[in-house]
Amino acid sequence: MTLQEDSKSRIELMQGTLDMLVLRTLVLGPAHGHEIAKHIQRTTDDVLQVEHGSLYPALHRLERKGWVASKWEMPKGGKREFKYYRLTPAGKKQLTAEHSKWRRLVASIGRVMEPAREG
Amino acid sequence: MAIRRKLESWLSWFPWYRRREREADLARELREHLALEAQEQRAAGLSADEAGHAAHRALGNVLRIEEDVRSAWGFQWLETPIRDVRYGLRQLRRSPGFTAVAVLTLALGIGANTAVFSLLDAVLLRPLPYSHPNHLFQLFPTQAGHAMTSTSYPDFEDWKEQSRTFQEMAAYEQDDLNVTGTSSPERLRALFSTPGLFGLLGTHPALGREFGAEDGAHVVLLSYGLWQRRYAADPGIIGKSIYLDASAYAVLGVLPPAFYFPPVEYEGGLTAQVFVPAIPNTGRGWNYLRVIGRLAPGATEHEAQTEMNGIAARLAKAYPNPNRGPRIVLGRLPEVAASGMRRTGWILFGAVGFVLLIACVNMANLLLAQGATRENEIAIRNMVGATRLRITRQLLTENLLLAAFGGLLGIVLADWALPVLASAVPENTMFFTRVHDVGVHLDSAVFAFCALAAVFSAILFGVLPAWHATRPAPTTRVTPRKGGMRGALIALEVALSLVLLAGAGLMLRSLIRLMDVDPGFPTQGLMTMDLNLSGNNYASPQEQAAFFDRVLGRLKSLPAVVSAGAVTNLPLTRNDTWNGFEIPGAHARKGVAGYHAASPDYFRTMGIPLLAGRELSNYDAARSPLVGVISRSMARKYWPHQNPIGTSIVIEPVVATATPKGTSIHTERQQLEVVGIVGDVRQLGLDDTPASELYIPYAQWPSEEMSLVVRTKSRPSSLIPMVEKAIWSADPDQPVTEVRTMDEWVAKEAASRRFLLQLIGAFALTALLLATVGIYGVVSYRTRQRTHEIGIRLALGAQKAEVLRMVLRQGILIVGFGLAAGILAAAAMARLIGNFLYGVSPLDPLTYLGAAALLAAVALLASYIPARRAARVDPAVALRSE
Repeated sequence: MTLQEDSKSRIELMQGTLDMLVLRTLVLGPAHGHEIAKHIQRTTDDVLQVEHGSLYPALHRLERKGWVASKWEMPKGGKREFKYYRLTPAGKKQLTAEHSKWRRLVASIGRVMEPAREG
Repeated sequence: MAIRRKLESWLSWFPWYRRREREADLARELREHLALEAQEQRAAGLSADEAGHAAHRALGNVLRIEEDVRSAWGFQWLETPIRDVRYGLRQLRRSPGFTAVAVLTLALGIGANTAVFSLLDAVLLRPLPYSHPNHLFQLFPTQAGHAMTSTSYPDFEDWKEQSRTFQEMAAYEQDDLNVTGTSSPERLRALFSTPGLFGLLGTHPALGREFGAEDGAHVVLLSYGLWQRRYAADPGIIGKSIYLDASAYAVLGVLPPAFYFPPVEYEGGLTAQVFVPAIPNTGRGWNYLRVIGRLAPGATEHEAQTEMNGIAARLAKAYPNPNRGPRIVLGRLPEVAASGMRRTGWILFGAVGFVLLIACVNMANLLLAQGATRENEIAIRNMVGATRLRITRQLLTENLLLAAFGGLLGIVLADWALPVLASAVPENTMFFTRVHDVGVHLDSAVFAFCALAAVFSAILFGVLPAWHATRPAPTTRVTPRKGGMRGALIALEVALSLVLLAGAGLMLRSLIRLMDVDPGFPTQGLMTMDLNLSGNNYASPQEQAAFFDRVLGRLKSLPAVVSAGAVTNLPLTRNDTWNGFEIPGAHARKGVAGYHAASPDYFRTMGIPLLAGRELSNYDAARSPLVGVISRSMARKYWPHQNPIGTSIVIEPVVATATPKGTSIHTERQQLEVVGIVGDVRQLGLDDTPASELYIPYAQWPSEEMSLVVRTKSRPSSLIPMVEKAIWSADPDQPVTEVRTMDEWVAKEAASRRFLLQLIGAFALTALLLATVGIYGVVSYRTRQRTHEIGIRLALGAQKAEVLRMVLRQGILIVGFGLAAGILAAAAMARLIGNFLYGVSPLDPLTYLGAAALLAAVALLASYIPARRAARVDPAVALRSE
């Protein structure tokens, strides 16, 4: 894969969006950083490039804000501990708010971009 | 549990909290991520090595991620400044010479400001020690449109009764009382007040209770200081009696330590030491009480003003009296209390503020020079990606560090200077009273001010150089504009210094002029003291006169005494008793003169010359015809074309009679023959013009309070114990107060001016020093910059003298600009000290020229040294230096 291909087929995420995706991923249950990254990449068929590097600052930022909590845990049948992040009640609330905001944003952008469908 | 979590989340905002744990945690998290990723890559078929590299590539720069996570932890607010401070400290250590000069400069500026602030804080800014002092007002009656200080007892009663806007009112009078018994007799400042005073002020005695209307006249409260000093802080004093003016007063209580009253200047004396009930006088013409009131809740000053004017108008109608106007002036007590000091305070603060400004200008100059030497460092920082804001912040941090050190050293300097400053405060001024009452010390307000001054100066001196140093395109050579700015700063510094020097010069010339004034008699060899015979010991005027006769007789018999006399209201003591008189005849006219009772020997003792007629004599006895001697000014004013000797005037002495309702006061007409004219004296002070004075023999015009003057053969102060002993041999219970030489009175006359001169002079000298350092710094810096050019000039055949002239010309030009601006500024500011000047115009050209010449000379010297160095440059060395 060349660099050019990269920039064509993959979309860079804005910070706020990454936060939302992380929170959304954690709705499914606790996960560690690697899992979160892989999950986002897999569900979007590799379209959304989650910079692993930007994921960790985001996670620590969310923890700072009290939206996620973390704990070192042994996965079932695993041999090593990983740092698992889980959604807090405040995080759930935040996700709901972000989600509806995003929905409104997409709807209004859609109305501008594809007005025919409205009529 | 919840509390612990809360505490922990709060603590986690601090970078040091579990720092190592957090860092290890993050490292482990990233390590695990890399391991997992590598595992997946290997599963996809890569070799162990390749998988590791791929994992690293996918994650990105670990250091940067860690940095980003740390910033997500939110510690940048604290960590960046700490780094800046560390780096700043290293920078300062690297150039110890610069740091020392900078810190010292700032310490001088900040320290002087801190010291002056703590003085002003004590006398002007600290609130009065009463509850809600802003609701307290002093009420002034008016006379012919002018506010007067005092009103009569009946008027006070009417004000109090009729006013609704004032919830309370109290009246007081200040006088002195002799306290006797236990230890040596002493004269105390006494406050005679109506019973409501302490309730009105919201003051509760620290010990015992206050007096009420039912307590009668012979009860007393002691000030805390007096109780500590004279009564050894004995709590058993409550209920005992002390003797004031020979009457027993029961001690009811002791006032709290911080309490003082009145806060308003009263004949320059100290505030009261004993508090006794006021004695009501029934006459409406007898204005002797000062009135203060506390505004009722909800009432406004405007409402109170309207109401009091109405009351005054009604009273003026009901009791027609030419002395009383239909208006009352209200003065907020804190403002009235500060009124006499505010001007002096602001002058001092302004002057010392100039010193700080000059220090800041110097600092800015130093930093500009330093900025030039740091251009490389800043350019490198710029290149590796530091933003201009970032570099500016770093430079400002260094400035703040300098200011902080300067401030700390400034506090030390202020702490050292404060006692000196406080002891320089002249007696008999409100400054002195307040310093005495509240004390001057470094407290939290002073520290806060010092910190503020430090930060303020750091910004003031730092912003311009920092902005300059971080210009986007760094140049290797000093641009002419920058040189211009440094020159402008020096000019500013010179101008500021000139204002201070001119101010000090004007004060100095005033003082010299004042000391040249002839007071009307030779002051050397004279000793003075006050005797007050209040009380029952010498009730009748005859007894009082006899006592003074006896004392004067004993004094004259002392071997070192040439002569001794007595008078009421000594010259230069700022006391006088003004009374009217009438010149009868076809063209009857009225006049006013200062009345004095005097002993026959008074003029001879003082050395006041007899100009015409005769002096007072021992034959002018109580029952012989009333005679008087007048001053030359009085003769010229009221008898411009005649000889006053032998003419009669009518005087109206006040006679007091006791009535059941209090003391009744009225006047009696008496004829007085003018028998002599004596020379003028400066009665109200050296800066006052001679006025009309009338001297009457004390046998005919007795007074219970007189000043004694003793002319001695030896040094007057050495005689004090002997003189006191002679007086106490006549009456052991008689306090002797204000024992001073006449020269001390003269010195006291000049004391407040001398105080201002000392301070402004000290500030001016500091400014001169700073300006010298500044000019020297700039000229030598510029000369160094031009070493190459000078080398070429010398190589091409320029004479050393030419080079010298060239370098000097630069300095002179800058200083010339500064001097011109400074003279204009000084002329504009001189009005502010106009009140303190004597015999010299605020625009006195000699002073301005002198100050300018002094500054120019210093500036010339400061530029001559680097100029001479430049002229001595070896062309070969200079050319090689590039």
